[in-house]
Amino acid sequence: MILTATFLSAFAGAALILLLPERQAPLARWIALLTALTGLGFASAAFVGYDNTPAAPHFQYLTRIPWVPSLGISFSTGADGISLVMLVLTGIIAVTGVLFSWNVSHRSRAFFAFYLTIIGGVYGVFQSFDLFLLFVFYEIVIVPKYFLIAAWGSTNRQYGAMKLTMYSVAGSALVLLALIATYAASGAHSFDLFTLADPAKVHFAPAFQAWAFPVMFIGFAVLAGMWPLHTWAPTGHVAAPTAVSMLLAGVVMKLGSYSALRVAMTLFPQGLEQWRMVIAVLATAGIVFGALVALAQKDLKFTVGYSSIAHMGFVLLGLMTLNLAGLGGSVLQMFSHGIIGGLLFAVVGRMIYDRTHTRDIAELGRMNLTKALPFAALTFTIASVASMGLPGFSGFIAEFTILSGSWKAFPWLLIPAGVGVVITVAFTLRALQQVFFPSGEPSADVHPFDPITFPEKLGALMLIAATLFIGLFPSVLLDPILRSFHSPLMQKLLVEVPK
Amino acid sequence: MTSDYLLLSIFLAIAVVFPLVPLAMAWTFARLLSPAKPGKDKQSSYECGIESTGPAQVQFQSHYYLYALVFLIFDVETVFLMPFAAAFLKLPISAFFALMVFVLLLVEGLVWAWAKGILAWK
Amino acid sequence: MTNILFSLAPESILTITALLVLGLGVSVPNSRSLITSAALLGGLIAAAAILLFPMDANLLHGMVVINPLARIFKLVILGLSLVSVVFASESFPKNHFAESLALILFSTIGMMVLVGTEDLLMIFLALELTSIPLYILAAFDKESSGSAEAGLKYFLIGSVSSAFLLYGLSLIYGVTGSTNLLTISQLSGSPDSLLIAGIVLTLAGFGFKIAAVPFQIWAPDVYAGAPTAAAALIASGSKVAGIFILARILTTGLGHWAGAAGWGQFEPGWAPVLALMAAASIVLGNVTALVQSNVKRLLAYSAIAHGGYLLLGLCSANRESLTAVLFYVVIYALTTAGAFGVVAIVEKQRGGSRLEDFDGLSKSSPVLALCLLVFFISLAGIPPLAGFFGKFYLFTSALANGQHLWLVIVAIAMNAVSLYYYLIVLKHAFVLPAPDDIRPANAPASKILVAALALAVLALGLAPDLLLKPISVAGKTPPHIATSTVPPNDQ
Repeated sequence: MILTATFLSAFAGAALILLLPERQAPLARWIALLTALTGLGFASAAFVGYDNTPAAPHFQYLTRIPWVPSLGISFSTGADGISLVMLVLTGIIAVTGVLFSWNVSHRSRAFFAFYLTIIGGVYGVFQSFDLFLLFVFYEIVIVPKYFLIAAWGSTNRQYGAMKLTMYSVAGSALVLLALIATYAASGAHSFDLFTLADPAKVHFAPAFQAWAFPVMFIGFAVLAGMWPLHTWAPTGHVAAPTAVSMLLAGVVMKLGSYSALRVAMTLFPQGLEQWRMVIAVLATAGIVFGALVALAQKDLKFTVGYSSIAHMGFVLLGLMTLNLAGLGGSVLQMFSHGIIGGLLFAVVGRMIYDRTHTRDIAELGRMNLTKALPFAALTFTIASVASMGLPGFSGFIAEFTILSGSWKAFPWLLIPAGVGVVITVAFTLRALQQVFFPSGEPSADVHPFDPITFPEKLGALMLIAATLFIGLFPSVLLDPILRSFHSPLMQKLLVEVPK
Repeated sequence: MTSDYLLLSIFLAIAVVFPLVPLAMAWTFARLLSPAKPGKDKQSSYECGIESTGPAQVQFQSHYYLYALVFLIFDVETVFLMPFAAAFLKLPISAFFALMVFVLLLVEGLVWAWAKGILAWK
Repeated sequence: MTNILFSLAPESILTITALLVLGLGVSVPNSRSLITSAALLGGLIAAAAILLFPMDANLLHGMVVINPLARIFKLVILGLSLVSVVFASESFPKNHFAESLALILFSTIGMMVLVGTEDLLMIFLALELTSIPLYILAAFDKESSGSAEAGLKYFLIGSVSSAFLLYGLSLIYGVTGSTNLLTISQLSGSPDSLLIAGIVLTLAGFGFKIAAVPFQIWAPDVYAGAPTAAAALIASGSKVAGIFILARILTTGLGHWAGAAGWGQFEPGWAPVLALMAAASIVLGNVTALVQSNVKRLLAYSAIAHGGYLLLGLCSANRESLTAVLFYVVIYALTTAGAFGVVAIVEKQRGGSRLEDFDGLSKSSPVLALCLLVFFISLAGIPPLAGFFGKFYLFTSALANGQHLWLVIVAIAMNAVSLYYYLIVLKHAFVLPAPDDIRPANAPASKILVAALALAVLALGLAPDLLLKPISVAGKTPPHIATSTVPPNDQ
């Protein structure tokens, strides 16, 4: 029930906001904030209340209500360590997203209603153990994204919104195809993940897995920004308003990687074996290309957008390593990049762009932002440093574990991955330096910008605190994550790689 | 088999020839014997001896179409009534009521057409 | 005799209602509300008759067949026609208003007879009774050349297809010696050329009704030109009746000659024909809708595409997929009726139904815009709405014997494409700013009905068993849609 409350509160909040009369529109953001805090509260309570002792069951908070018995569809939710980490991430991003959208006044009711619908859908995906239910929540997220970007976005928003939505729908279509084929091929007359992934109950022929796995994985991976199906992400993220960019980079891309891990990889282990190398190469390509293209960007938000692709490449690489280090690191990276990516987009979008109305790096460099917006400079520095993977922040632990896992699985891929890390440092430093610490004389006249408001500071502090805390105490998250890989469902992913 | 169709083919031939012969004769006589002397009174259209006034092309009244439509419906109704009438004595009383329903439906149609002014000439 | 009267009670009540409406139209032509109320009251009494007199009857050698499935569909069709009546009462031209309602009711009677029969002759008769009032309704707006074009095209193409259908049915009768579907089904063996010709012609006739490629040419012009309430009835009611009776003919009557439509494993029969028609409809409908600028025409191409999805379900012809088809056609009819209702209100308010006329709808009528969102997202197959579950069930059941994977792939791909054009309309409604001068639309009953339909679509998406269970249970009691061996009983 506590898990269901996360998305129920989000949808209820959205409905409540829609019912507000126009005069009360400023109330919308308060309702959104309260709803987001409620969701975060429930998710944190579930996380804290999760029994981590070795004897406890792996999947807790289970709920199962039959929904459409004739098709074997049930409303089946629950959580293990992985789910809870993602749920907490969603809660944090939801709250900070609202804080960074505090200044949205144009049609704010519709904005927050769509926003909360996405949050509800994301909560739902992370806790679903019925494939149909997971797909329902997965799809609920798609349409509000379009409206948020098309109506409240900035550069090229119509094109960006449509491209993002059509890519998402195309990915979902692949997933739907694989899902239906799985149901038909299983003969189990059920959509329950535990049943379908149990080799004792359901057997999928290797020939079937050979095509079902890539179709399903790629379908999910489109949303995760896998190279070369990633081109929607930079355009869409840049076009989106700040909170939506935070949501997109923070949690929505993680929907793809989480579902790939939870569903595609567990259902089709033999298919995974066949396609593992291909996907690992594509993931590494994403790291390198994402970083290289980010290096060449002149728009600050595009730089951050492409850095998301690079970081998600790490996630996918970690998933393919199929050992505890890589898989655990991958989930941790999902959390870490969610926080850091959210922070980066928040700074670039809300703190900088809303005030300067430009994202061009060269132009920003001339504005002497270190003096005009010192808090923004500080936050961006911290965010960059975290994004580069500096020890002390969560990114370091995550990337390190992924790389060590990948050393065991694909030693030769470490070279391009390592190059990618270096280039990531390069473009991040470049962006940081050229915007905030440009060489040459700073212009004497400092354009007075609106000071950083309290909600922005609060949001930034929350995100920095999260990444710092996990950077210093990673076991808080890593323990539940690693433990969940010992459950029968996830354990079969692990492969002992012969030395 | 040949004899069946032989008669028919002869008949067909005569049927074709029979009207064509007077036509051919008329054409020949007109060509050879009667002079062509057209005149104003000779070429004018005949209208029972009265002088024709106005243009020859009169607009067709589309209202005729509505009458034809309503007529057609009642004509088909009559066609349905005829076998009923022929077998009237042998049918049970329920058949009478069934047909009365049919006739009454059409009568309602007539009442509707009447009330809508379709039967009045415009 | 009384048995027949009882079993045809709903249709008789509707006939009396229609005649009453005509009478009212002649005596008090100016009180639209009285005429509308009479029509609605009659419809509700007919619905009550269906609900209160449950029966299982098979009369006159299958000419009148009442079973639970037929009763459910009669109720659905009645509901859709009452929806059209309400829309018509607020948007139809003023002249001859009572006649338009009477025509809607006559067409409904035809549809109801159509779902309650298993005899070829009655099928044709009912089909004509359904179609001819719709032809007239399509041409009802005397001041619009589009309406005249719609009516004429619908009539001409419809008459030609009726001729094809009649020829096909008579060939089937000629070969099998009976007009009763159950008797036809008892003739087995490989079909001879005459029967093949008959089946193909029948499919051509019904393909027109469902607006499937290549018999879809009438649909865009008719949907766009006809008065919107008439288009609503054509899109919803006539589609439901057409699919139902096509399913019945193909499975009850011609089940032996189904053939198979797997990729590379085509077996001769009507299933591969349907599969090709389905693939063509899905592709053509969705691709052509991408470039439309008039919302009604867009809905027409969407109707063509949905006809394709329904035919996909029919090719499989197992019990699951037939239930899915029947479920989905009801969902689709509700959604389209609602969508046309929104279009009718917008037309009244803005004077047209092009994309630009929807600009800023979310600001001028937020509830209407939300309903539009619900309907279009349901048509695109996005959860948690009914359209998603309908499509999901349809595709899942079509894959049950693994044969039609290629068709399902085409369908899923085109379904993803379809979101684009639905989003374009919604973009105009939600994202683009409204023009400054907007008169309020005075259509309270239509708005309430549209909202109710949107709620129904949402409710059926969250709890599909509300509709799915009755259909699937009704489909199991003999005589049902699959071939049955229960002999018809004379009255």
